[in-house]
Amino acid sequence: MGYNSRMANLKDKYCIVGVGETEFSKNSKRTTRAMAVEAVRKAILDAGLEASDVDGMLSYQNGDSTFAPFVAPDLGIRLNFYMDVVGGGSSTEALIGLAMGAIEAGMCKTVALFRSMNGYTEFRIGGTGARSAAPVRGPDLAQVPFGMRSAGQNFAPTFMRHMYEYGTTSEQVAHVKAAHSRHAGNNPKAFEKHRVTVQDVINSRWIVKPLHLLDCCLETDNATCLIVTSADRAKDMKQRPAYIMGVAGRVSKPRVDFHWAHGPISRVAGYYAKDIVFGQAGITPDDVDVTGSYDAFTFTTMLQLEEYGFCKKGEGGHYVSSGIIELGGKRPNNTSGGHLCEGYTHGMAMVVENVRQLRGTIDDTCPGAAEGRHTYDYSPGKCRQVKDAEITMNLGWAMPATGSSLIMRRG
Amino acid sequence: MPQPVTYRGMSLIVPDNDTEWKEFYEHARAHRLVVRTCTACGLMRYPALHACPWCMDLGWSWREVSGKGTIYSYEVVHHAIQPGFKDITPYAVVLVELDEQRGTPTADEGLRIIGNLVRHDFSPEAEDKVAIGKRVQVVFQDLAEHMALPQFILSGEPDQGRVWRLGG
Repeated sequence: MGYNSRMANLKDKYCIVGVGETEFSKNSKRTTRAMAVEAVRKAILDAGLEASDVDGMLSYQNGDSTFAPFVAPDLGIRLNFYMDVVGGGSSTEALIGLAMGAIEAGMCKTVALFRSMNGYTEFRIGGTGARSAAPVRGPDLAQVPFGMRSAGQNFAPTFMRHMYEYGTTSEQVAHVKAAHSRHAGNNPKAFEKHRVTVQDVINSRWIVKPLHLLDCCLETDNATCLIVTSADRAKDMKQRPAYIMGVAGRVSKPRVDFHWAHGPISRVAGYYAKDIVFGQAGITPDDVDVTGSYDAFTFTTMLQLEEYGFCKKGEGGHYVSSGIIELGGKRPNNTSGGHLCEGYTHGMAMVVENVRQLRGTIDDTCPGAAEGRHTYDYSPGKCRQVKDAEITMNLGWAMPATGSSLIMRRG
Repeated sequence: MPQPVTYRGMSLIVPDNDTEWKEFYEHARAHRLVVRTCTACGLMRYPALHACPWCMDLGWSWREVSGKGTIYSYEVVHHAIQPGFKDITPYAVVLVELDEQRGTPTADEGLRIIGNLVRHDFSPEAEDKVAIGKRVQVVFQDLAEHMALPQFILSGEPDQGRVWRLGG
């Protein structure tokens, strides 16, 4: 396909040098602007930078948040480049690629990238409240009049067809929630820290078959931020940089509008993205130490891991229930607890977590965590640092037909 | 512009310039299920794309299809999001593969359409009757003078391929 020769020249030339987030809550009591300012400020300070060092800003939202021109001035940042895009899940990785492009084009030098959302108190991400009452027109007429509007309702036929074609079971995917809950228990900032079992997931009430309540992610208020800059600048910065090896943004199936029309519907966008991102990075799934497979739902994590080749197509149920994805396993997934347990950030927190994994300074309760000294004791309330994590991969998800991905290595 | 149609608390809006849906619903109100067919290559598509996704030609005409098909996948909503659906849970949403153009132009493609699996009075069909592989037939739920929704009922024909439903 030529991705190797054409795009690999940006491999390792850009880094994530700062990360920041607000509290994950269901009651932020403040605006998305206030939260964004806090998250961006924290990321700048985390990188050891000053306001004058940042001259680019990107954000994504769905008509539910503030914009870069309101966040930058609050912090005294004068921008040479900014853009606020419409987008939800899978925007993080795509915008990291755009940030690299903006810097490469010489439009700016260092980009802050944020997502701020009152996903519980203002615009319920699950679709209840004001969003459920919006008028129905255009493409929505093909599904919304039939009571199919929320993310879970939109994705459920894909999950159901996977069960039909491959024999995937509710019990298998419930392991994703169980694993992420154990990870969240070792994450002091996680909103939902208590451990749940596979049986807890199966026994929780149905939301939309095949999804139980505990197959669905949280809805929370929060803001998150990443700082992207060139490897040349990153060398002299405060933190050990996370080098970007490859990125694929908003890769789609042939139809996005009515994606059920095309292909086996159990195939998701990662099928098309994997050659791009692995081609750039020059590695295979075997080389990846930690994954961040988007967990809007338990099924989402499973579908993407198999589509990117961490197991054979159709064997995702076995993969996620085998222990591989747990801390202490061969390739832990969403060590923060992810959207199922830490909080819902439209994907950005999963990249934040992997940056910290690569630094070796995961914010767990180990006494020397900030200096990179960890116990690797993954029992409740203890460590969640993956030992010697060298390469991480994020598998971003917007919907079955659209996804993004990112491969990083430690500096 | 026709008046918005209110259905289960939703306002369904079809402006005059939205020709694809306006004419689709006018046919549906006359109890005809129509799809766009490409005048160049003859392939049909749903919903009404503005060009042919296989040959990029802009020419099209409406073609009536039988409305017979097989449940390709489904979901059962137990926790409704839209207020107007809360009193009919659980209800099934079905992804129906129509008989026309199945496996064309590639083995994994087909004319697929979404609706509810309903009884003759348009109330939700019993949950244990819903399964992948069940045969269905379109029926039209009249909402206004200019609009009807395509819905599906079990046709009673022999199953198509392996029949499967999620237990529990």
